[in-house]
Amino acid sequence: MRLALRSSFVLIFLSVCWGQSLEERAHGILKKNCFGCHGAALKSSNLDLRTREAAIAGGERGESIVPNYPERSRLYSLATHQLSPAMPPGKKLADEDLETLRLWIRAGASWPADQTVSTAKKDEDAEKKAALRAMEERPVTVEERAFWSFKKPVRPAVPGNAAAAAGRNPVDAFLEAKWSQLKLKPSPAADPRRLVRRAYLDMWGLPPTPEQVAEFVNDKRPDAWSQLVERLMASPHYGERAARHWLDLVRYADSGGFEYDADRHSAWRYRDYVVNAFNNDKPYDRFIREQLAGDELAPSSSEAQVATGFLRHGPDHNVKNEMTRMDELDDIISVTSLSFQGLTLGCARCHNHKFDPIPQKDYYQIQAVFFSTKPQEFPLVGAAEVAAHKAESERIDGLVKPLRKQKTAIEKSARDLILADKLAKLPPYMGEAWRKPADKRTEAQRLNARQIERAIEAVDEKQVQAKMTEAERAALEKVTAGIRSLEAQRPKPIAAAMAMTEEGAQALPSYFLHRGSPSGKGSQMEPGVFTVASWSKFEAPAPPADAKTSHRRLAFANWIASSENPLTARVMVNRIWQHHFGEGIVPTPNNFGRKGEAPTHPELLDWLATEFVAKGWSVKEMHRLMLNSRAYRMASDDTEANRVIDSTNRYLWRMPRQRLDIETIRDGMLAAAGTLERTVGGPAVLPYIDPVLFQGSSRRTWNGKPDDDPTTWRRSLYVFNKRTIRYPLFESFDQPDMMSSCARRNSSITAPQALLLMNNAVVRLQAKQFAERLRREVGNDAAKQVDRAFELALARAPHDAERRQSVEFVRRDDNSLIDFCQGLFNLNEFAFMP
Amino acid sequence: MINSNHNSPQRFFSRRELLNRVGGGIAGLAFAQMAAQAAPMRTDPMVPRKPHFPGKAKAVISIFCYGGVSQMDTFDPKPMLDKRQGEVMTGKGDVVVSQGTPGGLMPSPWKFKKYGQCGMDVSELFPHVGGCVDDIGFVRSMYAISNDHAPALFQMNTGAVLPGYPSMGSWITYGLGSENENLPGFVVFSDHRGGPIGGAPNWGNGYMPAAYQGTQFRSSGDPIVDLNPPKDMPRERQRRWLDYLAKLNAEHLAKNPLDTELTARIASYELAFRMQVSATEAVDIAKESDETRRLYGLDEEPTQFFGRQALMAARLVERGVRHVQIFSGGGNFQESWDAHWDIVENHGTHARETDKPLAALIKDLKRRGLFDSTLIIWHGEFGRMPISQRMDGRDHNPLGFTIWMAGGGVKGGTVVGSTDEFGYKAEENRRSVNDLHATILHLLGFDHEKLTYPHLGRNMRLTDVSGNVIKELLA
Repeated sequence: MRLALRSSFVLIFLSVCWGQSLEERAHGILKKNCFGCHGAALKSSNLDLRTREAAIAGGERGESIVPNYPERSRLYSLATHQLSPAMPPGKKLADEDLETLRLWIRAGASWPADQTVSTAKKDEDAEKKAALRAMEERPVTVEERAFWSFKKPVRPAVPGNAAAAAGRNPVDAFLEAKWSQLKLKPSPAADPRRLVRRAYLDMWGLPPTPEQVAEFVNDKRPDAWSQLVERLMASPHYGERAARHWLDLVRYADSGGFEYDADRHSAWRYRDYVVNAFNNDKPYDRFIREQLAGDELAPSSSEAQVATGFLRHGPDHNVKNEMTRMDELDDIISVTSLSFQGLTLGCARCHNHKFDPIPQKDYYQIQAVFFSTKPQEFPLVGAAEVAAHKAESERIDGLVKPLRKQKTAIEKSARDLILADKLAKLPPYMGEAWRKPADKRTEAQRLNARQIERAIEAVDEKQVQAKMTEAERAALEKVTAGIRSLEAQRPKPIAAAMAMTEEGAQALPSYFLHRGSPSGKGSQMEPGVFTVASWSKFEAPAPPADAKTSHRRLAFANWIASSENPLTARVMVNRIWQHHFGEGIVPTPNNFGRKGEAPTHPELLDWLATEFVAKGWSVKEMHRLMLNSRAYRMASDDTEANRVIDSTNRYLWRMPRQRLDIETIRDGMLAAAGTLERTVGGPAVLPYIDPVLFQGSSRRTWNGKPDDDPTTWRRSLYVFNKRTIRYPLFESFDQPDMMSSCARRNSSITAPQALLLMNNAVVRLQAKQFAERLRREVGNDAAKQVDRAFELALARAPHDAERRQSVEFVRRDDNSLIDFCQGLFNLNEFAFMP
Repeated sequence: MINSNHNSPQRFFSRRELLNRVGGGIAGLAFAQMAAQAAPMRTDPMVPRKPHFPGKAKAVISIFCYGGVSQMDTFDPKPMLDKRQGEVMTGKGDVVVSQGTPGGLMPSPWKFKKYGQCGMDVSELFPHVGGCVDDIGFVRSMYAISNDHAPALFQMNTGAVLPGYPSMGSWITYGLGSENENLPGFVVFSDHRGGPIGGAPNWGNGYMPAAYQGTQFRSSGDPIVDLNPPKDMPRERQRRWLDYLAKLNAEHLAKNPLDTELTARIASYELAFRMQVSATEAVDIAKESDETRRLYGLDEEPTQFFGRQALMAARLVERGVRHVQIFSGGGNFQESWDAHWDIVENHGTHARETDKPLAALIKDLKRRGLFDSTLIIWHGEFGRMPISQRMDGRDHNPLGFTIWMAGGGVKGGTVVGSTDEFGYKAEENRRSVNDLHATILHLLGFDHEKLTYPHLGRNMRLTDVSGNVIKELLA
């Protein structure tokens, strides 16, 4: 209610004051109300508010303004009377003045150019300014625009003559053209069992069950394969798999990183949003718009609010200042340009891009799109529930407050004793400062006395208790028990989305920053896009009358999610291709610029991109197209003749055999063991991590559940992703660190990986579960156990030699069956794409 | 791969892994032949490589005093603090503190004494290190970017204040590989009280392959988590298991005998099996003489933990490990060097724990003939303030602090640069973290501008776009 009032009032207010800039108005307020005591004549508390530098540095009580963070700025907290001493003394600023100050700090708290300087100085400044302004311009040339990825894809004809092309998969036609050109022979069709395993691992990230294998292998219909493809896409497990790829790309994690690495308890809602989006085949253009501007696109949809979490998943500084705000915006700009455009924009923060035609101005115009964003915990429950939650929290606050006061009073004499002890050990000047009456202290004594005050406040509770009398301790115990019991009654946080919104319909002013530094402020920026990829003038229309935000993000999202954008569709079809065929048509999926690699099949890429748009941006249509190709069904084995021509399989004459990602390996173990909990969605789980790997250090925690707790046996997608405490199995197998966008994982092969799969307790435990499952399902006959185990883990029967060796191994003693099961988890065949 | 133009993620394995015996009757020779035929060879992560020019140092032991060490109380005496004790620090522009408000100037509670032929001033906190100053080069004019722990730790370890970049140990193993494939190339010891703020990204591989990430070692029990077989699969049993595994893998490989990734993965199991023995042996300090154990202070309460780690570091370097990092201080509040209050207790404790072992490390490496080829680096993520905080502590200060180096190509008895009269800001010959990294790489034989890794269309560097070697430190 207050919020709504405030924003509508801001609208009116801003339109009234139009003509005077935010900084001029703010400066006027400071001049009128503050400079008397914190200016030329007086510098009370050592605070001078006349210049930006001095105001930020603050006075005795610390910095007075934190640019971009009004709620952390002492000036604003004192002016709003949230902190004492309330300022200005004896009165309170009008609401509209407070709102001006808030927005002004939020926009970076810039001071108007000094009015008092001489004319000569003014001329010099003007010259400097003009020179700087000239540096902001870096035109994009016609030649630069001619680079392939910046031109809109033109749909090429499918190669081969029309008659032959009819009914054939266009993917094959394009690949064949290259094969015949290079005299490569496509590999024969894969064995159906290997093929079905490939399809499940690829589309679900899970191995098929023996029943699923049989269903396909025994299906004699001519369209058995495309029926399988449809079945795979119809399952919710498809969305889980597709989401894993997307989450790597958008640096999704469940915690904030840095010192506190605070857990983000509702981050998972965005993960589930992504799973559902893929499962429902949400059109990709819609998917883009929701993530960049869901709140503007569909304000009443909670789903769209959750989607804007995309903008919030970056690492979170625990210190907030001007530079960290620029870092936050940089994270948003980078992840947006990498994931949707396959372009690296980061360098343009400080200078024009060295390799790509991306002017620094593009960076700051795109920053202007996001500059006014503000995190919001968007309630996913009704207003009544929100109000009830608030009332209950306030009730408890009200009861706790007097108890805390009592606690302070009880502790006072013990704290005084500790202080006396400490002072005795320090040089005499400290004691002198402390004993002087507050109004008689020199400036230095004031500083020192303030440190003593803080020292007393900060003394450790245990130390305080040690100095207490029995009676005091008893009293303290009673009070703390009271506080504890009240805190236990605090209501659980209401369900909310990590969402993004803005300050208001009027965007905050933002500027070109020379050398990327807030002190190198240049011209004010209008919202913009990548000039080189924009073939018509970009304009952000004014927001609708009832808008709560500037609608700049929606305009930007519309530009990206448009068939006119030369990059969007190409970049996405290339990602889908990479997930199926191991390597993208453009092998550098996050770099479609000049330093990226050229496409191996440019016509195929453009054909797919135009087809993607023509099919309504349907991702499932792309899967359908790629999986139904004959290429996808080829064997993955080497053929000597082809190796000689193309040893790295760049032209895809066979399917690749890359190592599976660790999530698929772990999920495969649980699936084979029969322990996999297949529930889709919901909060993340924390499996056990040896505390030696993360203990101590600040506020970071990991309350892992024991290995044998079945609630941890969920798919790897649901393992809590904590930025500074990595799950060792995932970390050692190249799961990205989620600090920035990862479009393609590294694929190391190392001894520590082997150690984990050989010795880790959870792997051993799952091997035991697997063995128990075998005994349960086929009894104690070693041959039957071996056959069943191969079916479950590798989707095939063992060959004769394998069966013989395995049966012999299993029969050695009772525990050998477990060893055998763990052996299957460690096989190359288990860990590589078939 | 140094200066390579790869743009895409890397698949790595060790060429030597292919030459190793694989159980189940497949002779190493067969693999060697296969490997020889396999073309093109993919890049090899840990094979020893030559740097750009012959470096004096072959290995690095870095001691990270986490929390931030006070320069005025250790290696950078400031008599002005006694003269003007309690006064407001003036003439330095804005005094930026990380918490609360600035206090008055605070003299050091410790006395300084001159040591060695070079006459270096060292406080009472480090008498043993004082005895080694003629082997040590000090830089008193360091500065860093952030006064917040996590970004400052990241900068010191990776060159960047943001997380997600490869750590120095990753760069060094990427550049030089490792001399002993049976041990991890990059080993990290956390303090026994806990790890540093920022956690894993401090020794992470960033955008590089996982082969270059630091392996955390424990200083008691099994050195590596999951190093040894599960209880119900003792070593002989695991051998038999590995042989069975190799048989099945060999059959699978037969379809694609030239696949270097498949063969590398087979070999990685043999390597892991050998690592169980070699890693355990490497940290088995029971094998050291009583005299050595006394030297490191293993029989004394305060020094036993850090002493063990320092001795283990010496043994690991002796066995070919490329980079060992030891964190002194961990956990919360006074458990690290982060002396926001009671610096006497705080720095007193941490110096007592490390002083003797640090001197022992220098002496012991000399005896082992490793001092000249091992670079020892001692530093924190930033320094501390000349003014008081919470009455008897000091706040973070990235504007000026001291680091030191010894061994591998460092000119002993040197002091580079200085801070202002209070020790607040680096003043003369100011040196950045990039400069420090450039110097470390130089001592290892690398031109820091040319040791690059391709990522997102850019050739990334440990030193980003700046850095000058601190020439005054070179022997």
